[in-house]
Amino acid sequence: MRDQVLRLTALSKSLPGGRRLFDGLDLALGAGEHVAIRGESGVGKSTLLNIVAGLDTADKGEVVVAGRAFAGLDEAARTALRRDAIGFVFQAFHILPHLDLARNVAFPLVLQNAPRAAALARAGEMLDAVGLGDRRRSYPKELSGGELQRVAIARALVHEPALILADEPTGNLDPETARQIIALLGRAVKERGAAMLLVTHSPMAAATADRQLLLTPKGLVSADG
Amino acid sequence: MRWVVTLVLLALGAAWGAALAERNVDYPTVVRGVEFRFPRDHGAHPAYRTEWWYFTGWLEGADGKPLGFQITFFRSRPSTDPANPSAFAPKQVVFAHAALSDPIKRKLIHDQRTARAGFGIAGAAEADANVVLLDWNLVRTADGVFRARTPARDFSLDLALAPTQPVMANGDRGYSRKGPRPEQASYYYSVPQLAVSGTVIKDGRRIAVTGRAWLDREWSSTLLDPVAVGWDWAGLNLDDGGALMAFQIRGRDGRAVHAGGTLRRADGNKIILAPEDVRFVPRRRWRSPQTGAVYPVEADFIVRLPEGVRRFPLKPLFDAQELDGRASGMPVYWEGAVSTPGGRGYLELTGYADALRL
Amino acid sequence: MAETAASGGAWRWLIAGEWRAFPVRFLVAGLAIAIGVALAFAVHVINRSAADAFGEAVRSVSGEADLQIRGASTLGFDEGLYPKLIALDGVADASPVVQFRASLGEKGAPITLLGLDIFRVLAVSPSLLGRRQDASAEGRTSTRPTGVDAALDLDALYLSRTAMSRNGLRFGQRVQVRVGARAHIFTVAGDLPGVGDGQAVGMIDISAAQWRFDRLGKLDRVDLKLAKGSSPGAVRQAVEAVLPASARLTDAEGESRRGDSLSRAYRVNLDMLALVALLTGGFLVYSAQSLSVTRRMQQFALLRTLGMQKSALTAQLLGEGAVLGIIGSIAGLALGYLIAGAALKFVGGDLGGGYFGDASPELQFAPTAAMLFLAFGIATAVAGSYAPARQAAGIAPAEALKTAGDPIDPRVSPRWLPAFVLVVAGGAFAFLPAVNRLPLFGYLAVALVLSGGVAAMPWLARTLLKPLARIDTRLPSVELALQRLLGSPSQAATALGGIVASTGLMIAMAVMVTSFRGSVDDWLESFLSADLYVAAASNEALFDAETQKRLAGAPGVAGIAFSKSVPVTLNPELPSVLLVVRPVGGPGYALPLIEEAQGRRAGIRLWLSEPAARLYGVRAGDGFELPVGAERAKGYVAGIWRDYARQQGAIVIDTRDYVALTGDAVRSEAAIELAPGASVAAVRTAIEDRLPPGLAGRVDFVEPGVLRVRALALFDRSFAITYVLEAIAILIGLAGVAATISAQTIARIREFGMLRHIGMTWWQIVAMLATEGALLGLIGIAAGCAVGLALSQILIHVINPQSFNWTMETRIPWTLMLSVAAALIITSAGTAVLAGRRAVSRDAVRAVSEDW
Repeated sequence: MRDQVLRLTALSKSLPGGRRLFDGLDLALGAGEHVAIRGESGVGKSTLLNIVAGLDTADKGEVVVAGRAFAGLDEAARTALRRDAIGFVFQAFHILPHLDLARNVAFPLVLQNAPRAAALARAGEMLDAVGLGDRRRSYPKELSGGELQRVAIARALVHEPALILADEPTGNLDPETARQIIALLGRAVKERGAAMLLVTHSPMAAATADRQLLLTPKGLVSADG
Repeated sequence: MRWVVTLVLLALGAAWGAALAERNVDYPTVVRGVEFRFPRDHGAHPAYRTEWWYFTGWLEGADGKPLGFQITFFRSRPSTDPANPSAFAPKQVVFAHAALSDPIKRKLIHDQRTARAGFGIAGAAEADANVVLLDWNLVRTADGVFRARTPARDFSLDLALAPTQPVMANGDRGYSRKGPRPEQASYYYSVPQLAVSGTVIKDGRRIAVTGRAWLDREWSSTLLDPVAVGWDWAGLNLDDGGALMAFQIRGRDGRAVHAGGTLRRADGNKIILAPEDVRFVPRRRWRSPQTGAVYPVEADFIVRLPEGVRRFPLKPLFDAQELDGRASGMPVYWEGAVSTPGGRGYLELTGYADALRL
Repeated sequence: MAETAASGGAWRWLIAGEWRAFPVRFLVAGLAIAIGVALAFAVHVINRSAADAFGEAVRSVSGEADLQIRGASTLGFDEGLYPKLIALDGVADASPVVQFRASLGEKGAPITLLGLDIFRVLAVSPSLLGRRQDASAEGRTSTRPTGVDAALDLDALYLSRTAMSRNGLRFGQRVQVRVGARAHIFTVAGDLPGVGDGQAVGMIDISAAQWRFDRLGKLDRVDLKLAKGSSPGAVRQAVEAVLPASARLTDAEGESRRGDSLSRAYRVNLDMLALVALLTGGFLVYSAQSLSVTRRMQQFALLRTLGMQKSALTAQLLGEGAVLGIIGSIAGLALGYLIAGAALKFVGGDLGGGYFGDASPELQFAPTAAMLFLAFGIATAVAGSYAPARQAAGIAPAEALKTAGDPIDPRVSPRWLPAFVLVVAGGAFAFLPAVNRLPLFGYLAVALVLSGGVAAMPWLARTLLKPLARIDTRLPSVELALQRLLGSPSQAATALGGIVASTGLMIAMAVMVTSFRGSVDDWLESFLSADLYVAAASNEALFDAETQKRLAGAPGVAGIAFSKSVPVTLNPELPSVLLVVRPVGGPGYALPLIEEAQGRRAGIRLWLSEPAARLYGVRAGDGFELPVGAERAKGYVAGIWRDYARQQGAIVIDTRDYVALTGDAVRSEAAIELAPGASVAAVRTAIEDRLPPGLAGRVDFVEPGVLRVRALALFDRSFAITYVLEAIAILIGLAGVAATISAQTIARIREFGMLRHIGMTWWQIVAMLATEGALLGLIGIAAGCAVGLALSQILIHVINPQSFNWTMETRIPWTLMLSVAAALIITSAGTAVLAGRRAVSRDAVRAVSEDW
């Protein structure tokens, strides 16, 4: 149990219109384990990620992240849990345009009330790690898409979260860059011992995971092979 | 005898008459038996309500073409409150009228001036004929010649009018009755056969002119008879040196309520015409396109003389000699140069436009 | 979407879509244009209507005279001038006129009463002719005379339709006509068909006027008709040669101009305010457009990638501005016309300024001006779109496709030199003199300082925020807010520019009005030092020498000073100054002197008000001549005093000097000092008892306190339109700030979604937005106050003295400034929070995973 970073038990979720996304979904992720989830558009992949992040709630079932269940937590506690335990990588990068790269990366630490100097130093290390160590004072608009996603990876890992949620991280990238990014993401997450839930369309991206699952209305089924 | 302005003045009199009743402005009455004294009587008689110096005549320039002219200065004494100390108080009002009848254009051009006496702008002297009215004036010079200057809007008259004959007193030695009642009368004399010389400015051209003219002088305080609506008057200089003045006063029915006249023969012999001696018989009428009034522009004055009845058929220089004075508060009447076999003069027809309105 | 955009209707689609998506922002921008156009147009229409009415009033009592000779003062001139004028070469005729303010009968509505010579009027100005009207019922034959005769009825009164209806009179009615203390019964004999509606004019015979109203030997006016073909220049010269000092030559047009020149500065000031409103509108268009450009950068990049030309993109954005301008301007014209109508009805043609007397204007439509203001509005909106359009066209498509960053590099320190140059230039222009009595350079200085203030904002914001950002607050919300303001300099500058532009002007106006009002209050206090004032109800001269003696002897009166004001024309191009006749040093008056001549000199002592001294360019001790009395009265400026009541200038002369010059002993006001222990009520009764019977009930008693309140009420009335404009400027400013901030906030929805993802609480985000808003508001209001105070000094020391010839002492409206500051900070923070609340909701979370 101690190694279990994420456990989803009997999750059910319907859309407000009544359409059922999934019912009785179970999933468990061990420390350092990378799982890719694929599925048709609209099948509920993003909703599943939001539920995992505590940004959305399931109709039924339990979500436990790093040993703590979201159920019963108030908004502040849920945010705190997400802040401490989860890192995000988005399809559209979502790097704040008005912050330089170092501050963008340091931001999760700032949210944890880390001293600024320490946070920036740590962010610098992370940028080194993703190959952008010389661009700390650059602003996002000077970067290419691949570079932005590197920044995002640095930001996702800067506070050493137990779980990385990556939502189509290569969706906005050309295939070559996508390959590089997904390799970097996998390596960086592995190096830091975090688990990762990767939602993607891309078989190439999914192939880098330890396990591949397919999200269907009936739940997650294995898609390996 | 110039009744045109009498109409105005009498109308004024009606207004002032009402005031008169309250304020007792004293107008002297015209009485029989007052002898004229000259030059005093050429001057103004400011106590009387109305007075005028009325010149009419025929002129011709170097081209021999005839022109009719009329220059009239009126003096009037409104019955204003004598207590009014203002220098603008209308104690005396001076009017003047000048007209030129041009047969080539068959048009009458005229202009007028009005002012209250005072400030040296307007006034009539008492000692001799000397009337000032803005830029117009009439003065009798030491040699007995009348000088009249009337620079006007479309024309200008500057004439010397020299008497060639003595004054002709009308009526009973100048006491001229105008109606059935004795106080309906005026002091009235004429000076016919005036020799005219001077200049006329017309259409921007200065023309030296000579001609014959007639002066009517009359002053009075009295109202016309209430039944009178108008009158017909003529003053003719006869080629032989004689002169005829004849008038009739019309009632509402168009018939004469009073008439009179004077015929002076070339030899100076004078016949005073009684009401029954004068008849006015229209022969041709002309309708004014401006006012719609119909005037007997061709008519006969038929006078009974000791030697028998004599007819003076009058023929206008041209028809359109109507004066439309409505714009300046004056009445509408016809005042035109006329000729008769053996003479020339002026005919005045009043009360036709008003009659039409009734 | 790409397919749609690529098709022919690309921009129609884009405009419509953008406007559909952000209606409020465009509504506010359009509204700002509309309000600017509306105000400018309304001020113009009102002025034009009022000027027409004033000109009509002048014409209706002037007739169609070619030239006029007018008295240099209301004392008129000797009637001996009349025959001299009529005799001049080139003068065809001349009409003498006596003119009064008179009241009629019971109702006593004031009229302009003309005493005329009908015969001269006939030739010179026939439109003033009376028309006899029968008193009897229609259809019955009149028994009254008609024609010239009627005019010589010395008791006949002819009235314009307005004069009749205002006094409820009928033809044939006998009515008492009052002029000053004199009254006489006239009969309403007819009307004045040549006098236009709205003009209360009456006409009587000139001799009756001189006689009944004590004006013997005097004329107020002679109207001249020139002879055909005479040269007006030559006639003017000939006239000038015979004019005494007490008369001057003018014409109706000149009179209208004089009336116009009095209110011109006031009107120009209002026009400027309206233009400021329009410019604010232009600024809001700029901010709306630049935001929408920033937000649509990626769309534009896409369009450019798909092959849309640079020029086409620029044209599209300018087209958007033009559409906004057209809609806003047309709405503004309609609104302006309505405002003008309402203002004419409720405030009057002078907009409360008190310049046009009782001329009651009718609304005049001004098609040329309408087109002009329409063009103005459109130009403003297009100009506001120009910079954003250039910015949009200038983007490199590939780069913009990636991410929307700030167009300005946050690491480069903004330049302060352009702002500095603007402010310095503005300061320099403030020292230049007036042009044609208008403070044009003053307004230029205002514009330069204001734009300097706006231009300084990026630099100022960075200078102020940089030190703050160095503090490690350990508060993520504050940290992020500071970083955002520093990191998006152009967005911050846009919002700040709006705040500075609107608050700067708002505060400048507030400081100016407060200073003015305070100075007026002080001035009133020093001016009104008597215990009781007695004045003729309509400011006519009422107290003759006899009455004055009786009043002075009333029990309880310790001292009494009689006074009167006589308008005197010193320069035909300028409105008449008021000659204030009063015992100098007597009770009840103290001149608030600001300058005094050293020692006594030869000649009459004259004390000029500050406006008079400035208008006629004299200082204490200078020689000064007055066109009063037979000869020009020679005197000198003994002192200059502060005066806010008479913009045309006032000159105080001692009663003894005035009487020596004119012999005029009638006065219209009295200031009374009470004996110790005497009560105001008792003295009032004693005075009333001693008034001649004709005057009883026709005088007003005023205590200084009441007078002060009344004067300040009058002040507020004349500033009513200014207050309204100010309030509108505040509202536009706040609305603009709110629109800018909310637009910027809404555009950041995905950012908030991301922040929520990575662990910011809802509250932290709202706190961040509130901090951003408050910081913006704080910097903005600080800069706004600085700019506003600078502008107020230009208004107080340059524009006011140059327009109105008076100075004032600066007073700061602390309460108002603090309220504005609070309102602004609350608005900006509050708007940010309100806009943020929606953005931070669940939509934000979804927006994160939305693709564009």
